[in-house]
Amino acid sequence: MVRDTTIGSRLFDAALIVILCVITISCILPIWYTFCLSLSSKSAAAAGLVWLWPVDFNTGSYRQIMSDTQFFRSFWISIQRVVLGGLLNFIVVALTAFPLSRSPREFRQRNALMWILVFTMLFNGGLIPLYLTVKSLGLINNIWALVLTEGAHGLVFNVILTVNFFRNLPKELEEAALVDGAGPWRILTQLFVPLSVPVLATVTLFSIVSHWNEFLYGLIFATREEFYPLQTYIQQLVIVFNPNIINEEQMKMMAELSNRTLNAAKIFIAMIPVLIVYPFLQRYFIHGITLGSVKE
Amino acid sequence: MKSKGYVKHYILMLLPGYIWVAVFCIFPMFGIVIAFQDFNPSKGMLGSEWIGLGTFRYMFELEDTKQIFFNTLFIACMKIIGNLLVPLIFALMLNELRIMILKRTIQTIVYLPHFLSWVILGGIILDIFSYDGPVNQILSVFGLKEPILFFAKPEIFPFFVAGSDVWKEFGFNTIIYLAALTGINPALYEAAAIDGAGRFRGLWHITLPGIRTTAVLLAVLSLGKILNAGFDQVFNLYNPLVYSTGDIIDTWVYRVGLLDLQYELATAVGLLKSVVGLIMITISYGLAYKLTNYRIF
Amino acid sequence: MVKKGIGILLAALFVFLSACTGVNDNNDSKQENAEPPDSGPSETVATNENETEKNYDPFGKYDELVTMTTGQCINQAHQDSLPEGDTPDNNVYTRAVEKDLNIKTPSYWTVACTNLDQKVSLAIASNDLPDAMKVNKVQLRKMVEAGQLEEMTEAVKYASPFIKSAWESTGGAAIESATFDGKVMAIPGVSSAESSLHNMWIRKDWLDRLGLELPRTLEDLENVARAFVEQDPDGNGAADTIGIIGTDVNDELYPTFLEGTEKGLGSIFYALNSYPGYWIKGPDGQATYGSIMPETKEALALLRDWYSKGLIDPQLGIRNDANEPIIAGKAGIFFQSLWAGYTPLTDAWKKDPTANWQSYALPLDANGRWNQTVNSTTVEYLVVKKGFKHPEAAMKLVNYRLQYGDYYEFEHGVETGNMPLRMEVNLRNQMTEIANLIERVFVKGEPKEILDVDFEPALYDQDYDYYLQVKKKPYDQYDIQYWNLDDMVKFPRIYLRVVGGRALQDPARNDVSSLIYEQTPTMTERWANLMKLEFETFYKIIMGVSPLDSFDQLVESWKKQGGDQITSEVRELVK
Repeated sequence: MVRDTTIGSRLFDAALIVILCVITISCILPIWYTFCLSLSSKSAAAAGLVWLWPVDFNTGSYRQIMSDTQFFRSFWISIQRVVLGGLLNFIVVALTAFPLSRSPREFRQRNALMWILVFTMLFNGGLIPLYLTVKSLGLINNIWALVLTEGAHGLVFNVILTVNFFRNLPKELEEAALVDGAGPWRILTQLFVPLSVPVLATVTLFSIVSHWNEFLYGLIFATREEFYPLQTYIQQLVIVFNPNIINEEQMKMMAELSNRTLNAAKIFIAMIPVLIVYPFLQRYFIHGITLGSVKE
Repeated sequence: MKSKGYVKHYILMLLPGYIWVAVFCIFPMFGIVIAFQDFNPSKGMLGSEWIGLGTFRYMFELEDTKQIFFNTLFIACMKIIGNLLVPLIFALMLNELRIMILKRTIQTIVYLPHFLSWVILGGIILDIFSYDGPVNQILSVFGLKEPILFFAKPEIFPFFVAGSDVWKEFGFNTIIYLAALTGINPALYEAAAIDGAGRFRGLWHITLPGIRTTAVLLAVLSLGKILNAGFDQVFNLYNPLVYSTGDIIDTWVYRVGLLDLQYELATAVGLLKSVVGLIMITISYGLAYKLTNYRIF
Repeated sequence: MVKKGIGILLAALFVFLSACTGVNDNNDSKQENAEPPDSGPSETVATNENETEKNYDPFGKYDELVTMTTGQCINQAHQDSLPEGDTPDNNVYTRAVEKDLNIKTPSYWTVACTNLDQKVSLAIASNDLPDAMKVNKVQLRKMVEAGQLEEMTEAVKYASPFIKSAWESTGGAAIESATFDGKVMAIPGVSSAESSLHNMWIRKDWLDRLGLELPRTLEDLENVARAFVEQDPDGNGAADTIGIIGTDVNDELYPTFLEGTEKGLGSIFYALNSYPGYWIKGPDGQATYGSIMPETKEALALLRDWYSKGLIDPQLGIRNDANEPIIAGKAGIFFQSLWAGYTPLTDAWKKDPTANWQSYALPLDANGRWNQTVNSTTVEYLVVKKGFKHPEAAMKLVNYRLQYGDYYEFEHGVETGNMPLRMEVNLRNQMTEIANLIERVFVKGEPKEILDVDFEPALYDQDYDYYLQVKKKPYDQYDIQYWNLDDMVKFPRIYLRVVGGRALQDPARNDVSSLIYEQTPTMTERWANLMKLEFETFYKIIMGVSPLDSFDQLVESWKKQGGDQITSEVRELVK
């Protein structure tokens, strides 16, 4: 890409950088704050004294987490969930988006099928029938309950994005492949998928993130803490005051467990895997793709 | 086009996805009937008494209905607009950045707020804008005499809600635009440069049209959620002083539902939201087609 | 953090909620409920009406094993404290229960107590119930309406003598609240009234430093609050202290007959004989809602005045967390039950062990009385699923826990979170009794033996020793320097009993009950909205956003939007 290097252009670049940096700093501050909280003392945190640096530095929270086996069990469950969910999502999205990206001439039922998906995205029967469905499939306490329910939710959006992308791929490529005698399966796997790396990476990232962050299904579909994914485990550590059950046990428990620094540490640790995976996937949607195989 | 014979294959490809969606989305959808029943858990869906539109009538009869619907729509619209424009502009700005390392770092960092829950973020925002918090302190340096009680003001509350949501989510949406931006053929830019177009012309004539379909798609999809103003967020930010502009459908349902486990009401509201969402999507789909000659899906 | 967490969960539940149960999903529970073919001889199936002939042994052991699945709320820290191999389902305590009563309680599901409401709601709506679980009033009513419960009229006759006396201490209200159409449908717990009494907690060291007397009347309180704000009581040279802390975003302005609060400004209303949020006898002797009575307008005027003078936290109701300034040592006065000793004061003392937080039965009204509203006698109910053959097993479990629970807690280190189906059954004035007994033994020198009471076994066994550990002589001095703060687990426990309890024993104490603690039919539809209107208006008046006379408009609106209808329903009920 050719760039002009006039002064105006340079100034513009500089201003751009400044603005972007300011915005970026604003995004990192709350994370930084959480991090500082996690390294402060419990009473300093409770007194609201922590802002931009730890107060009464202590690593007690992290030490406590490292010795908490359930944390690691839940961590592992979340990893499993993310991997299974990500893979499943990737495969099913590609499979589903391809036929739906065909024109109605080629595939008459395409429009109806598409609207069915949109419909499922909008209409929701609620938590209870979902719970009963999962229960009747015998999936309570099973990782597949988490993978399949949350995955179904994100699926439609991901499919729509991918369909859009597929449709914008140059027709000439496809025609060339057809001339070569390729059937739909080969076109999909050997042509479309490699070309759609940006959108598929995006969609996989979304799937990973939504699986990682999801906590409600983890709570509903598990009868015991051992089966909780990480975010569910973390969520239940925040003791919530119930104004109707004020008794000694609850008040004592709140005083003992209400530990902002511990919670901050757990939250921070839970963010780390995504912080690792994300830059890795990033290059798939920053770098361009070359469409050099067909001349315009 | 000789690919008509491939329909069999297409159906085969669609099977896994559709079965999955059928079991976990379509089948549970039948729970919607609760909205029309006097639901008794032990009789279940099949045995509970049918009362038709009674729950809906009740919902619309309450004095506050107009207010909460308006609040919901106002906040949701602002969010939709913000969540469309800001990520787009940001993606475009980021795209102009040449320094790759900076670009990647920024992109990673701005995605981070997405991961924080509103329980935490709500607390942080309340603290930042608190009476003796940083914002007021900075303002006092600029001559403000009396600290502002930001969260006591119903006039600005919806902007807090929309603004903080846009801030939290723009990193997520930026990714989508960036992915779309990579799909633009670089040769187009080269050709334009040769023709003497500067960066802004390049932006206007190549970049924007290139991601137009993505932008429209996102716009239509977000319109489908027009009655979702964000329970978690509002709940963690609001207080009685801002009820008049801050109370949304979901927070209202929460309060009513809490006093008496009213499943019917919650389902009815969910159904209403879905229907409105469907109408909005249909209309905007039609509009998008008319204006851009492009079928979103 | 009051309602934030619940909010998200219940929101998800209520916003996406729906249900579809086609069949009674009993398969699972049938497997686990190994029912004996018929009951053993110790449980005579009474066919005659003469009750005295039936043996209602509260601790009667079953001949055949009775298995009862439970919906259990567990506590992470307590679970962690168990020895290797033990679980909340299987530990020293549960093994003892099995040995002594022949009852097994495997959990159908366990969940953190903070999420209990969520799980219970789901269980009710999907009709997927364990044999026994703990529910609140609203859930109880729902289950009764749905016909999901086994009748407990006979089962409650198996209550131990202590529990029976606890129920009696409520004047029959406890059992009444669990009774529907003449049938008892659950085992009611009893909350102590003291949880709803909001003592005035005040920094006595600030009073001393500024040379002030303890504020007894509202006028005194105003002066003291002003001094706290203006005269730099913490001596750091900055005007950064708050007089009276009110509420934060998670709390409410004052407790109502349906919901308690953590802090609040209720005490100030009550000192003017205004009882917002409660149903009391009006001047015409009829049940009236306190919030719309003229005394409330007076109280609002006073609070409005105080707020404008800066005596109350400027961030009333908006603040993120009202505990923060207390812990940070920036607040001088707040109103909370004696349980404040745990939160926020434990953290406050950790931060500053010289913070002399004392609690009193203040402020007094014009007649020298300390008025406080009290909560409903019962907030928890133990319910048994319909069809379960031995509902009295649940009663026996409660009996056992109250009788022997403390023993297992202190002698065997089994934390309470590991005891299934535990319920709070207290005397209505339990903490007052305890405070009184402690005072008699340590200050008046009565013998230790009087601490041996059945409603709090820990008093004799543990608290006596703890007291000696944490209290320095002289025992009749309660300022912070006469306490030993080394053990921050034992110290708050004793402190709140002694110092917090002192307020409860004050002769000026005047408990005000609500005429009803239930919702009427119109209430279930309209109350949420009315409360919203009420709080919104009152906050605005106090904080100077709306004029005082908007109170009158509120009263009009309240009446029109269902208030009149509700009032007549309440009057019907109360007759």
